[in-house]
Amino acid sequence: MTDAVVIVLREVLEAMLLICMLMASSTAMGYRFRWMALALLLGVGGATIYALRLEQISMTFDGFGQEIVNSTLLVAIAVLLAAHNYFAVRQLKDLQYRIPYGVLLLVFVGTVSMAITREGAEIYLYGYSYGVLAGNMTSVFSGGAIGVGIGLSIGIFFYYALISLPRNKRLITCCIVALVLAAGMMGQAALYLSQADLLPSQQPLWDTSNVFAESSLVGELLHAAIGYEASPSLTQVLLYLGSVLTSLVAMFAAWFLYKKPIETGLRDSQ
Amino acid sequence: MTMSTIFTAVWHYLARGMNILLLWVAAAAASAQTPVFEIEIREHLFFPAELEIPANQKVKLIIYNHDATPEEFESYELNREKVIVGNSQGVVFIGPLKPGEYPFFGEFNLKTALGKIIVK
Repeated sequence: MTDAVVIVLREVLEAMLLICMLMASSTAMGYRFRWMALALLLGVGGATIYALRLEQISMTFDGFGQEIVNSTLLVAIAVLLAAHNYFAVRQLKDLQYRIPYGVLLLVFVGTVSMAITREGAEIYLYGYSYGVLAGNMTSVFSGGAIGVGIGLSIGIFFYYALISLPRNKRLITCCIVALVLAAGMMGQAALYLSQADLLPSQQPLWDTSNVFAESSLVGELLHAAIGYEASPSLTQVLLYLGSVLTSLVAMFAAWFLYKKPIETGLRDSQ
Repeated sequence: MTMSTIFTAVWHYLARGMNILLLWVAAAAASAQTPVFEIEIREHLFFPAELEIPANQKVKLIIYNHDATPEEFESYELNREKVIVGNSQGVVFIGPLKPGEYPFFGEFNLKTALGKIIVK
């Protein structure tokens, strides 16, 4: 049963930080959580399809279908998170600006549903093969429930920590979290593409596994949070930094391209 | 000479150049031989549990899953993870690696599916 706890917790944690950050961000942007329902629906649906069709998907693209799909999802999430930062900074600059609902749906629902698709597929695969098919349902499902519970607790704590911040600080913090999460995603995408020999692979640039081992609890949390890798290759570091740069460019563009609206004595009533 | 004939000529030579470049890259890639190694999964165990591969070189690893259940081949040290569904195989490229030991595991069977790559 402890196997199930660890396996499920690892997958849940990666998605949970992203979801809780976006939930806090949407409150700062003046929207409630109705988008979560659609995101969960699409995410669970996507995860089921991905898991059920995994063999077929793996066999396409010369046997590297899994790597292609995973890295596409990861890159798409990273790009959407940069877009999130762009709109968040626009909102910081202009208090009256409100992100159009359609754009919010695209960015928020897209990010969350893709993250759930990726992590959920592994959980589904594990739960189905080792729980249902193996006749171990109680052990695997109770372990899985505990894993989800731990992940949820961490997420809720994180969400309330973000909510306690006033609007502007909340938006900035969410931008920082989004920037870091996106970079972690790009680092992982580099991992998959190197694995499939689609990007060059090199010897690790450094090895900090004696400081924070990736298999330790701290290492796992750091990996989920900032995409920590104990021994990254140059390709991974480059993609990580590339993502940081993209997010920063999006944020600077939003800040400098638009003029602050002139404050007038008379305010329009909303 | 009109602009359009100049453009056509330039495009023509660019395309020819691209073709030659692509052929050269393909030839170079094909001539660089990547050694192939195999690992089998049976009864949630890796065979061989210890695999020796050459150092400082890219290596192609084929993993055959003979179990009916899927397994996820994963390694922190190698920075690799791939799900291999039951009764199928998967390919993973690893390296170039410095000499040493690089443990890997099956994420779905953490207690039994353990192994290491020994790089010499």
